[in-house]
Amino acid sequence: MDALLSVDGLVKQFPGVRALDGVTLSVRPGEVHCLLGQNGAGKSTLIKVLSGAHTPDAGVVRWRGRPVGFGTPLAALRAGLATIYQELDLVDGLSVAENVFLGHERSRLGFSLRTKGNAEAAALLARLGHPDIAPGRPVGSLPAASRQIVSMARALSYDARLIVMDEPSAVLDAGEVATLFRVVRQLTADGVAVVYISHRLDEIRQIGDRVTVLKDGRTVAAGLPARTTTTAELVRLMTGRTVEYAFGERTGPVEQRELLRVSGLARAGEFTDVSFTVHSGEIVGLAGLVGSGRTEIVETVYGARRPTAGTVTVDGRRLRPGSVRAAVRAGMGLCPEERKSQGLFGHDPVYRNVSVASLARYATAGFVAPARELAAAARSLTDLDVRPADPRRPVRTLSGGNQQKVVLARWLVRGCRLLVLDEPTRGVDVGARTELYRLIRRLAADGVGVLLVSSEIPEVLGLADRVLVVADGRVVADAPAPTLTEERVLDLVMEERT
Amino acid sequence: MSDDVTVPPVDEHARVERTAGVAATWGGRLAAVRGLGLVGVLVILGVVGVVTTHGRFLSGGNLVNILTSSSIVGVVTVGMTFVIIGGGIDLSVGALVALASVWATTLATQDLAIRYGAWVMVFCAVAVGAGSGLFNGILVAYGRLVPFIVTLGMMVAARGLAQSISDRKTQLVTVPSVNALASDELFGIPLLVYVFAAVVAVGWIVLNRTTFGRRTFAVGGNAEAARLAGIDVRLHTALLYVVSGLCCGIAAIMIMALTTTGSSTHGDLYELDAIAAVIIGGTLLTGGRGTLVGSILGVLVFTTITNLFVLNNLPTEVQNIAKGLIIFAAVLLQRRGRTATG
Amino acid sequence: MTDLNRRRLLAGGAILGTGGLLAACTGNTPKENSGGTVDAARGDNAKPGKHVTIGFSAPQADHGWVAAISKNAAAEAKQYSDVSFQPVEATNDVTKQISSIQTLIDKKVDALVVLPFDGKALTSVARKAMDAGIPVVNLDRVFDTPQAYRTWIGGDNYGMGQSAGEYVGKRLKDAGVAKPLIAEVAGIDNLQLTQDRSRGFKEALAKYGYTVSIRQAAQFTVESGQQVMSNILQARPKLDAVWNHDDDQGVGVLAAITQAHRSEFFMVGGAGSANAMRLIKTDKSVLKCTVTYPPTMAASAVSLARLIAQGRGMSDLTEHEVPAYMVLASATVTKDNVDRYLPLGFES
Repeated sequence: MDALLSVDGLVKQFPGVRALDGVTLSVRPGEVHCLLGQNGAGKSTLIKVLSGAHTPDAGVVRWRGRPVGFGTPLAALRAGLATIYQELDLVDGLSVAENVFLGHERSRLGFSLRTKGNAEAAALLARLGHPDIAPGRPVGSLPAASRQIVSMARALSYDARLIVMDEPSAVLDAGEVATLFRVVRQLTADGVAVVYISHRLDEIRQIGDRVTVLKDGRTVAAGLPARTTTTAELVRLMTGRTVEYAFGERTGPVEQRELLRVSGLARAGEFTDVSFTVHSGEIVGLAGLVGSGRTEIVETVYGARRPTAGTVTVDGRRLRPGSVRAAVRAGMGLCPEERKSQGLFGHDPVYRNVSVASLARYATAGFVAPARELAAAARSLTDLDVRPADPRRPVRTLSGGNQQKVVLARWLVRGCRLLVLDEPTRGVDVGARTELYRLIRRLAADGVGVLLVSSEIPEVLGLADRVLVVADGRVVADAPAPTLTEERVLDLVMEERT
Repeated sequence: MSDDVTVPPVDEHARVERTAGVAATWGGRLAAVRGLGLVGVLVILGVVGVVTTHGRFLSGGNLVNILTSSSIVGVVTVGMTFVIIGGGIDLSVGALVALASVWATTLATQDLAIRYGAWVMVFCAVAVGAGSGLFNGILVAYGRLVPFIVTLGMMVAARGLAQSISDRKTQLVTVPSVNALASDELFGIPLLVYVFAAVVAVGWIVLNRTTFGRRTFAVGGNAEAARLAGIDVRLHTALLYVVSGLCCGIAAIMIMALTTTGSSTHGDLYELDAIAAVIIGGTLLTGGRGTLVGSILGVLVFTTITNLFVLNNLPTEVQNIAKGLIIFAAVLLQRRGRTATG
Repeated sequence: MTDLNRRRLLAGGAILGTGGLLAACTGNTPKENSGGTVDAARGDNAKPGKHVTIGFSAPQADHGWVAAISKNAAAEAKQYSDVSFQPVEATNDVTKQISSIQTLIDKKVDALVVLPFDGKALTSVARKAMDAGIPVVNLDRVFDTPQAYRTWIGGDNYGMGQSAGEYVGKRLKDAGVAKPLIAEVAGIDNLQLTQDRSRGFKEALAKYGYTVSIRQAAQFTVESGQQVMSNILQARPKLDAVWNHDDDQGVGVLAAITQAHRSEFFMVGGAGSANAMRLIKTDKSVLKCTVTYPPTMAASAVSLARLIAQGRGMSDLTEHEVPAYMVLASATVTKDNVDRYLPLGFES
């Protein structure tokens, strides 16, 4: 079979970094071709070169057998190569149909033909198995999964022959992922090829036909069979290591002192009657599907949302409801779900991201002593093994895992005793995950109480001492982690749903 | 500006950001100094000035004149830099200067000032400025209204109130110690310039060396992250507008001294001058990144252009065209600098 | 009382105190008479005649001179028992001024006094009034066609520049200066009146063989006057004379001169504010003269409108009608005649 897209010897140089250093890739019509690699392996740059956003410094891209250079994303789209980015490029204020035809509106003489656009959008959505999405609805009101479908409809509206999907499952829960896979199979049956990027090996095994692995800007393996290549082999190719998850030794709580007590907490429309405790040195995990209320619960505990009922008590003292400052003063710290938009100061260097919550302790009468601040930040970076450990580096140049460590460092330099971790490993590659797990364990061993939220059930089960299963805004189970299995948790979640 | 180069990089964190990733050599650091483009523009203007005016441009009197002319907008720009770095905008500055100058020069205020001392007028101007700023701040931070609209409303209302109090007349300052601020000199430099320097120095220290300044960067860079890190974002936002209003109050006293009047026409278009200076000075209009030194260089560039044009007796319209072109050029230069290192 | 409460109370007290002091500071009642109105002797025409209603429309006062216009018109109307004065809201929006004049037409006033914001734009509505039989007295800024007004009365911008040029030229000639350095601080440059003033100044100086050495435009505001003059003083380390178009911005021009410790030249003002005249009277500043552009013309316009509406002429003239065109002379006010003009000066 002839390749639809073939890439050979691709090189892309950025100031100080060689992002791509000889990438080879060959995609056939109608296949799902998975692209694997750790953060920084060059996946994003490769996508940007393919979609016309970057121009390569060397190498050949062949599209349907002919060498091409897509100068702009629009040129790539017109040729039939569409990209669906992780952060979807949809306009919230416009309707579904308007988003689908954004840039090539259905119009005559400059007047948009709304009815025609709506009808065509509805047809595309139906083809994707989602006739339920109304073309006239504003995109801003749609859930993440539906937005992704809209993005795909947009790709199809250009009659795409190849769709690149950058971590499409990152924002979806299990049910939504199943729907996504159905759509992908539908597309490939029509002869459309899909380049699928994901960190999750189980997904790749489910949906992929072939796998190409990138490491340090190079293709280390091309066109491996997705179903039969062993996990160990893939992990070895990506990292040079041999295990996927390693949670480290479970030491258990060191002392049974109660740190946090949540009782009868509720927020209208989000969750009701949530009660639990966290002891020092204990890791309490919240498992559940996206939208079950996990994030809302921990953010309310942290004071970022104001509860409609219930109390949060730290060390026996009741916290002022809805006050982050009260929670922080009581010794809490949050590593939020959306690291970039909620956790990091992207313009600032690493050390300022670390010190922001504890500025007062490097200051005398409001005047900050930069040397002390810098030294404390540098110490914590070394301690958490952030790489590079340069406190003056812009934080946005760090990888996902290292950024997460910076947010952790922020609370550690403050001497935080109760950490709330919301999806701490999202967007973090396999190698760095293992390190984060070890780190969280170590903190607990030092007596820090941890409240952990994760979409990945094995992660919660492997890391937490005790697990709360959340479904539809209620805690449906509260049990020691060793007594639960992934299947049992899923059962609990599903039971609640039906 | 040698000063700007030798301070440890920890202070001007924007510079840190630019240098990171580039070789941390002195050469690299020097090239990355934000605002160096503006120093270049100033040097070019200086050369043009010397050539076209037979050296008169560089006379002590003229340099002092440029500093004096920069001082009032300069003080307003200090406040504006805080607001913009903190993620806001203040369109009311010009009107607040007018209102404070009128309020502090009414017959009633001046009567009090003659009886109890000039501080009454100073207090009045500063209180009016800071009070109006607080009003802006409360509406923006606690009323959750868009700063553009709130301060636009304040701009119109304050100008109107100034006109109504003054009955659109020019109010002469009769208290000699206020006028002395502009007419008296120390080492050949009017006191006004020292006030300007003091405000810039205090502003720089507050922005770069205090928790308040650091939180300003945090709030402007990512308000949600700042809130989740335990910063009282709303209080801080409100205070930023108080800082801006306070600067307007100080500027009002200075303009009273310089023109010997209070008037509802004072501070005309200061908001545009100040915002333009802040932006060409390298501060991000969306907040979170910027330098005070850049803003002040921006003010100096604009004042120098005006000065050069008058020295050469060129008409106003040419000045305006040149100012616009300088804005484009400065912003383009900065953009190039950014993409080259980032 | 806890410490916190006491602090709150103190803070509250401080705020209240500040508020009280600030409120007290808005008082602006002048101690002296604001001046600028005339109470000259009048002939027979002062006797009450038929009762008439006079409508009045002028731009919004953003300047001392315009403010004096509205005030003088109202004050003049008050002096007649047979006049009801109907001013409409002052505006700098052409369409608003048109619609407010339309309202006056609909009310069937007996006469209209109009200072248009823009003469061209308001010509048609003035013509409408004339067509409806309402005589229009056009004040200062002239309409496009004589059909739009019964009488025009206004100042002479060219003449103002000429008077200033005459004074400067003569004084320098008398002093025997051969090649004088003359500076001109103009008003807003794109206004016709500014260009007329500058032309008059230039042409009067030309008679003496002099030229303007440096000319810069300000904005009719004190602040711009200060800024432009401080730069001019740097551009010309020595000057012989300065003409400043407007006494309002002149306050700033004079401040810049004081701050630069300069006094080797003399200065001529423009428009004729009371403040400028008082300075001329003291003879202690560089300001030696001002050429008038009197806002008293508004008072004259109202009195002309009354006469026209009542069908009377001007009693000192032989004609039975009011003349159609009146250009007011620009007076040259110096130390010698300032006492006569001081009552006519407007408070800027």
